[in-house]
Amino acid sequence: MLSVVCLVSLFFLRDHPRLLAFPRGATDAVAVTAQVILAPVDGWNRLVQSFQSRAALQDEVFRLRQENRVLKGQTQRLVSLLSENARYKALLNSARDIEDELVAAQITSLSPDPARHVVMLDKGSIDGLREGQPVLGAEGLMGQIVMVGQHNSRAVLITDSAHALPVQVNRSGLRAIAEGSGHIDQLVIRHLAATTDIRVGDLLVTSGLGGRFPHGYPVARVTDVTVSPGDAFAVVNAAPSSALDRGRFVLVVVRESADSIQPGPQL
Amino acid sequence: MNKAHARWVIYLTLGFALVWMLLPFSIEWRSLRPDIASLALFYWVLALPHRVGITTAFAVGISQDLIEGAPLGLSSPGLMLATLLLLFSYQRIRQYDLLQQSLVVLVLLLLSAGIEQWLRNGVNVTVMPLEALVGLLCSTICWIPVRAILRRSRRYYEVY
Repeated sequence: MLSVVCLVSLFFLRDHPRLLAFPRGATDAVAVTAQVILAPVDGWNRLVQSFQSRAALQDEVFRLRQENRVLKGQTQRLVSLLSENARYKALLNSARDIEDELVAAQITSLSPDPARHVVMLDKGSIDGLREGQPVLGAEGLMGQIVMVGQHNSRAVLITDSAHALPVQVNRSGLRAIAEGSGHIDQLVIRHLAATTDIRVGDLLVTSGLGGRFPHGYPVARVTDVTVSPGDAFAVVNAAPSSALDRGRFVLVVVRESADSIQPGPQL
Repeated sequence: MNKAHARWVIYLTLGFALVWMLLPFSIEWRSLRPDIASLALFYWVLALPHRVGITTAFAVGISQDLIEGAPLGLSSPGLMLATLLLLFSYQRIRQYDLLQQSLVVLVLLLLSAGIEQWLRNGVNVTVMPLEALVGLLCSTICWIPVRAILRRSRRYYEVY
């Protein structure tokens, strides 16, 4: 009887801040427990790593140096572009340009719920994370923060079937909504008229509409466009740019540049 | 009513079953993870219906939600209803052989999963993919070892 009363009150108080504090606290507790369980595996991996051969390490250092050189070269161009952009912005009296501030985090585990694409990150509110902040992978947008504990947080991936985000086709500027499909390698773009200009291979970037994701991060690449005669809408699928089920390191955008949220007037 | 003995065994095994949810499974195999927590709960209800009942089912459900980061109270109602059915008919189910018991467990799991999906639909949380039904079959197969382990620990620690 008591349990039933509890359940009913849980339903009516489901948005109460005190009640929401429980899952937040649990986020930390769950992360710590998972770490304790995984400690032997982690230890073994570390042991194996420490016995890696000198040659392999030297190879890796060499490869990373090369990569670093290439990236530095690219950044130089970016710096000049940024300053050019800033001058134009000043001419237009537009919002001032603040760099996106990023926090590096690590994916520690995957939600046990098979219906959801939710991952646990090892950074929390004391690192500046808040609910709704975008999560980036090396190649593009991965998801957003949905629950923040003190030292850990949960992020939902863009392929979760309850998630949708506003995107823009990079080539044509066409705006659309990319919905998660529940499959880790697929996004669905719904409600595009059959005559819309969208092709296989088009890059989708965040459009910045809705104010949640900053403008211009790559999201996915269109993999197939099916137009069946007689249907009003095309069926468009896209593959996320970043491999959502690989890799451990992500970046969380803790402060977005003022202009990336609201794109300035198009001239 | 007798005094309880070695009650901690019940809570410890339920705790272990919940921790099982935290073991990493890859994203393709995740839906095959057997639901050990529900199985352990069902076992204890069958074995000690005077100690483990609706309240325990409620607590197990809430812990599952906390671990998954789901809205609180999504898993509880299904588990509570399954427990209620077990409490009504534990004497009969105890007499069944293993295969029949597994079938009963499958029905109970389907019932609790169904109610959970219905609630998820109501509060707009993602509904399980159909592959999750295979996970229920895995859970059913796991009933035999789970029952054996829990039965042995119950007799060893003389839980009553």
